[in-house]
Amino acid sequence: MYISDPRELQDLPNLIREHGLDQPVYIQYFRWLKQVIVDRNFGIDRYNQPVFDAIMSRLPATIELTLFSFPLIVLVGIVFGTTAAVHKDKVFDHMTRLLSIMGTALPSFWLGIVLLSVFFAGLGWFPPQRWSPEVNLYVSNPGSSWKWYTQLITIDGLLNGRPDITLDGLRHLVLPVAVLTLLNIALIMRVMRSSMLEALSKDYITAAKAKGLTKKEVINKHARKNALVPVITLSGLLVAGLLTGVVITETVFDLKGIGAYAAASAAVPDIPVILAYALLSGFIFVISNLIVDVYYAYLDPRIRLE
Amino acid sequence: MAKDILNIEDLVLRFYTYEGIVEALDKVNLSVKEGETLGVVGETGCGKTVTGYSTLVLVPPPGRIEGGHILFDKEGEKVDLLKQRESLLRSIRGKDISMIFQDPRSALNPIFTVREQIAEVILHHRRSELIEKVLRGSLTGLERRIYPEMLKHPRSLTHRILSRVPVVNRYKRKLRDVVTEEVVKLLKEMRIPDPDRVAEMYPHELSGGMAQRVVIAMALACNPKLLIADEPTTNLDVTIQLQILNLLRELKRRFGSTIEYITHDLGVIAEMCDRVAVMYAGNVVEVAGVAEIFKNPLHPYTKALLESIPRPGRPFKSIEGTVPSLINPPKGCRFHERCQHAMEICTREKPSLKEIEKEHYVHCHLY
Amino acid sequence: METRSKLHELKLAMQPTMRELRFTISRIRSSPLSIVGAAIVILFIVIALAAPWLAPPGHLSQGGNPYMIPKYGIKATPQPPGTTVAGYYARFGTTAWQYDIYYGCIWGASSAFRVGIFVVVPSLLIGLLMGIIAGYYGGYLDEFLMRFTDIIIAFPSLILCMAFIVVLVPIGVGRLDAVMLAFVLVGWPTYARLIRGEVLRIKNEDYIEAAKSIGCSDFRVIIRHILPNSVYPVVIMASLDIGTIVLGVAALTFIGLGAPEGWADWGQLIAYSRNFIYGRPDNPYGYWYTFVIPGVFISFFTLGWNLLGDAFRDILDPTIRRK
Repeated sequence: MYISDPRELQDLPNLIREHGLDQPVYIQYFRWLKQVIVDRNFGIDRYNQPVFDAIMSRLPATIELTLFSFPLIVLVGIVFGTTAAVHKDKVFDHMTRLLSIMGTALPSFWLGIVLLSVFFAGLGWFPPQRWSPEVNLYVSNPGSSWKWYTQLITIDGLLNGRPDITLDGLRHLVLPVAVLTLLNIALIMRVMRSSMLEALSKDYITAAKAKGLTKKEVINKHARKNALVPVITLSGLLVAGLLTGVVITETVFDLKGIGAYAAASAAVPDIPVILAYALLSGFIFVISNLIVDVYYAYLDPRIRLE
Repeated sequence: MAKDILNIEDLVLRFYTYEGIVEALDKVNLSVKEGETLGVVGETGCGKTVTGYSTLVLVPPPGRIEGGHILFDKEGEKVDLLKQRESLLRSIRGKDISMIFQDPRSALNPIFTVREQIAEVILHHRRSELIEKVLRGSLTGLERRIYPEMLKHPRSLTHRILSRVPVVNRYKRKLRDVVTEEVVKLLKEMRIPDPDRVAEMYPHELSGGMAQRVVIAMALACNPKLLIADEPTTNLDVTIQLQILNLLRELKRRFGSTIEYITHDLGVIAEMCDRVAVMYAGNVVEVAGVAEIFKNPLHPYTKALLESIPRPGRPFKSIEGTVPSLINPPKGCRFHERCQHAMEICTREKPSLKEIEKEHYVHCHLY
Repeated sequence: METRSKLHELKLAMQPTMRELRFTISRIRSSPLSIVGAAIVILFIVIALAAPWLAPPGHLSQGGNPYMIPKYGIKATPQPPGTTVAGYYARFGTTAWQYDIYYGCIWGASSAFRVGIFVVVPSLLIGLLMGIIAGYYGGYLDEFLMRFTDIIIAFPSLILCMAFIVVLVPIGVGRLDAVMLAFVLVGWPTYARLIRGEVLRIKNEDYIEAAKSIGCSDFRVIIRHILPNSVYPVVIMASLDIGTIVLGVAALTFIGLGAPEGWADWGQLIAYSRNFIYGRPDNPYGYWYTFVIPGVFISFFTLGWNLLGDAFRDILDPTIRRK
């Protein structure tokens, strides 16, 4: 990975010394850490590209995917879960159960392939990748009037006054978002449902009914807030998982996100990339856990005092 | 002659469980007169709590009310609560009939403050009264336009939209302040010290006794005609118990509320109640004035109950046998298997209610 | 006379157990999904066990690995089901490079069980051991375990697996074995945490005190009292896990990190179909069999185990048992 030219192989011993690869592991680790923090240099990947740039250029794809899937998953999951709990053992409950069973049993890559086969090859509605070739030409042409503001095609399309480009981006997002949603909704629905059922069995629900409140008020105001806690934890993990890249989905739909990049790097293995990716993931998880903790305190006053 | 404000007639309640159908209430008859404190006493499982829930038509599944009438005196007219629409029942719950629960801390929602929870019931039932109070105060232009509309159209769209707009929705403050005033006033009457601070506390920050006072405050917030107290002191220390009982007595004196007091503690009955109804295995077996029932118990169960109260110097006496399972209840009088005076007819026929002496009713074949 | 009364005594003693058992069976019967799940799993077990007869590995001369799918020719394009390729009747057709789909699916079942069992059982055992020790003895041991498992659980499993693979493969571990080992190392903390939670809950129950007060050794207390009462969530988790692990391995294989070339793994079969999912210009669904058939196998396998796990939860979880 440090070698770009096969001829350099002859000079291997010198190269090793130069890059400090002959030092013990922990010294190498500290050198790397220093290099990262002080110089902001993550090294060079196997394509001779600076790792930092490589990752940054692939981040927007993952972010865009997360941006559209996460709210959908969480909102639909919560709504379906509460409704299933309220209408326990009725038709809706069984349907959501079916949905969540399907969601956990289907392999993500398989679902992606099947959807592509039907909706792209068959019907031509929703293509893979992030944008169509025409858009790509326009967008990557330095002479065109296109400006990248956020690196997200859907938002930048609007900012550039080209809603048709935004639409194109959305079209390309439909299938991957569908796959991610179907797969992840299952868990959130189930947890919301069981959490809701538990909350509904509590005494304060009966007390609230005895106050004369309507069923809707009781469910939405009293029960739901109490039931949200485990779902929040899950959402935190979910968003972190999505942001660190969903390898399979990105690979199947050929979205150049950090997940696919990291996976490909692991296969080689391309060490600088893996190290940088590990750092990034750790960072993302820590931040999301922090946000989850803050939200807990907001939801449950008992936690605030601790 | 005080009138009845609640008449429960021939109430039948069943629970449909995996193990079978539980005949929880078997034609229960009960009346509560205006202004009195009726004690409903019995062992655990005799159906006294579920009778209380039935009065509010709040029986949790798998329970189902399957017969009888619950006649409540609403503004002079007797309505059968079992035949009413949910919207009417909702207007009655919390306002005309309210309930105090056994475990105060679990009856309060842990994520809302005391103020929020009491305010909830006040706003639900006394909203117009409070809005008018706001209108009598000083208002800004915007408020002068919104509040009357809130009064006329309780669910007005403008209000619903505007109340979510960040800066504009300050107008809600006026209503909130008025309600908070009411809440603090209520807490003061419950003899809660430092009511302003307590109002902002969360349930888990309250002691048992304090929490129970809050629950009582919540129940009395809209001046109900009938207060159902479901073992309100069972989960409290004995010293706190005394305080709560004193509080209830004082409130009753001041507001003249009618109380249906459910308990298994005969001592509390003696302290608090004017009349007593004794229940056993889903039936009411005896009803009489409190003094009468202690002096002259007629039903064998009541007699055995009174004899089993531990007294220093006397040997411990308990009632033979155990409470029968209500899935396949005994035929005839449900007490006959444990009754010392059981006769042949007791195994076949259920006794009917007879007035033996003035205002003293018994369900027993002995009479 | 003696034996009659002894038998009678035994019957009386067994009554509560019999009642619970009858209740359990009725709960099984009342949930059709659990029967479906069990049926699916049993079906797959049969397929896996009967693999040598259903899809004879005759293509191997003495010795050789039956998990390698036979190739019939060198053509790049897949052949549809029912065609005869190089003298072999391909029941399910062939994938790119002429790997027999039928063989791959049948032996894929066997491979799936192998992978599932060899990952879940060690994970479970290690987790059980660590969890019980940490939960029962508490103190620093417990703290340490919690932090340690925290770290492992917090990391996205895929990355950890990749890290393990990166470390293990160069030192000579076969790729599939490296993947399986990686999953074990990533998986045991969940079981440890689960069982630790249960142990903590049970530890404070009165009957444990009672057992200890009559002189039961720690070991006996753990085995006879704590273990039986705490094991049910682990059983539920394990059956759900088998499906998840097999899916995970298939996913890794799909992107090239799992089973080696030509291995009878459902994910591998689907990987071979990657270039053909768009079909031909005249028939977009032309190569459906290359991914639909193995996909059906893998989905049903996971479905069966998920249903079974759900069924276990409904049956064993004491809070749900009594409606």
